[in-house]
Amino acid sequence: MTSAETKPLGIQPRPPTKHSLGRRLKRTVSLYGWLYAFILPGIILLFLFAYMPMVGLQVAFKDYVIYKPLSEAPWVGFQYFSFITDPVFWQSFNNTILITFFRFLFGFPAPIILAILLNELYNAPFRRLIQSLSYLPHFISWIVVSYILYTFMQLDTGPLNMVLQYLGFEQTNFMGTQDYFRPIVIISAIWKELGWGAIIYLAALSGIDPQLHEAAMMDGAGRLQRILHINLPGIMPTVSIMLILALPGLLTAGYEQIYPLVNATNLGVSNVLDVYVIRLGLTQAQYSVATAIGLALGIVNTLVVLGANWLAKRAGQTGFW
Amino acid sequence: MKKKMSRADRIFNTVNILVLGFIGLTCLYPIIMMTALSFNQGTDTMKGGVFFWPRSFTWVNYRVMLENVELRSAYWITILRTVVGTVSGVFVTGLVAYGLSEAKLPGRKWIMIYMIIPLFFGGGLIPYYLQLRSLGLINSFWVYIFPGLFSIYYCVVMKTFFQGIPQSLKESMRMDGAGELTILFRVIFPLSSALFAAIALFTAVGHWNDWFSGAFYVTKGSLIPVQTFLMNFMTFDASQTYSRDNAQAGAQALAKMTTEFSTITSTSLRMAAVMVALVPILLVYPFLQRYFVKGVLIGSIKE
Repeated sequence: MTSAETKPLGIQPRPPTKHSLGRRLKRTVSLYGWLYAFILPGIILLFLFAYMPMVGLQVAFKDYVIYKPLSEAPWVGFQYFSFITDPVFWQSFNNTILITFFRFLFGFPAPIILAILLNELYNAPFRRLIQSLSYLPHFISWIVVSYILYTFMQLDTGPLNMVLQYLGFEQTNFMGTQDYFRPIVIISAIWKELGWGAIIYLAALSGIDPQLHEAAMMDGAGRLQRILHINLPGIMPTVSIMLILALPGLLTAGYEQIYPLVNATNLGVSNVLDVYVIRLGLTQAQYSVATAIGLALGIVNTLVVLGANWLAKRAGQTGFW
Repeated sequence: MKKKMSRADRIFNTVNILVLGFIGLTCLYPIIMMTALSFNQGTDTMKGGVFFWPRSFTWVNYRVMLENVELRSAYWITILRTVVGTVSGVFVTGLVAYGLSEAKLPGRKWIMIYMIIPLFFGGGLIPYYLQLRSLGLINSFWVYIFPGLFSIYYCVVMKTFFQGIPQSLKESMRMDGAGELTILFRVIFPLSSALFAAIALFTAVGHWNDWFSGAFYVTKGSLIPVQTFLMNFMTFDASQTYSRDNAQAGAQALAKMTTEFSTITSTSLRMAAVMVALVPILLVYPFLQRYFVKGVLIGSIKE
């Protein structure tokens, strides 16, 4: 910091003078003391809840037991990274990727389509109603969503099975087999965030110059043509930044949604990485293995985020920070 | 746009209205279904066919649930953590953001780097849990509050917003001898009330809907929040291998309650419990809508 940069706030700039370190420090504190005091809690909280857990990652390389301090635990090297040969780990890896991939494949375009359709709705009250309703699931907890799913698909009383029966199909125990687990997770995830995700695209659509549409209509362009050639290109910058922001999500299936849905019958497909780590670490107290898995995933995740950030910057966006 | 519509346009409109109407219905219907079931006699529900409204109306499901000591305690814990957590969280994050919004602050760049690193790399669940443990937060009410006091993401959003407030406003107040606290409360906070409302709303919903901390960082029954109570109450499938002690306790409590009244079933009780947890959100939802839409958009505008 040069002294020119630390000139007093709101006072006419003075020619830079050489002060001793002590005097400069004193001036900085008197000018910015309050501001530093405001920031301090944030620094302490991050230290306690973000940086200390990073230090705690050494558990992955130690024989840690809960009743002794971490510093006393002996180093064991990469012993706990043997999870890499564990078929259960790879099963949970595959389960994760399958869910996140299809969730991305169907879930990414869904809010864009919703926004475009809403944008074509000229009846304002109806449009507002649909918008309001579509945000609602975002505010419902995953636990309540699980209740909804179980109740909606229950045998003999659930609306879905009743409709199936009415139409002459067999009733199916959707929540009681693993066959439907992935579709259920993916569809409910899309359902929950569909309307919420559309907000940003709606804003982008409303920023498109109406003159473009008027000119296109003069030239005889139909509605579909205008959507394809004006609206879609118009929201492309937003789409590309959202696409990049979605990349890190490809590694996390989301324990908040999946954990409440896990039961004995669907374990083969519901055991995703998040759930696996929770079960190993918090339920079975195998801290070192669970930390080792967490560390490996964390590194991969960081690489993905950094890569996405690099992509965002290349695409002419500002990146994540 | 009010020109004569072509045939293709009319077809498009009709299909569009149908598709969007269907989407709106899928968002509304679960609430209707649960309301109907929660007001219907459990034994009647078992016959099937209750989809839109209660067939044999009763208050008994709610009466039993609202008399349940665990649910009441969970409800208070949730209200308490939501209020305390939201007010303190928004305040602390707002202070940090204000400090960081001062472009001339020496060392600001380094503090920003310090704040942003955790967005890219973290210790993961287990070291985090062990840290909570060594801080003595496990089995303490404060585990709901302290970790959420500061949010990096909201801090960046607020900082960006504060930087949009004309700097001359602050500087002229400083020249008049106003302290930073005065500037903060007289100028910055009032000018950012819509942003604060949105962030407070998101934080509050996050507190209200969190089941995870209650399930894993707390074992004391008296500290469990509503969502965790619901989680324990959910064991639909008796063969669930995952049920922990709490879940078994939930299942036992449920079994006891269903034997008290002959018309009650586990489904009807569950629906009443879910509605009790959901009603506050449904009630505030219509009034706060304009804030959260604004909040999403402010949050998406970057430096």
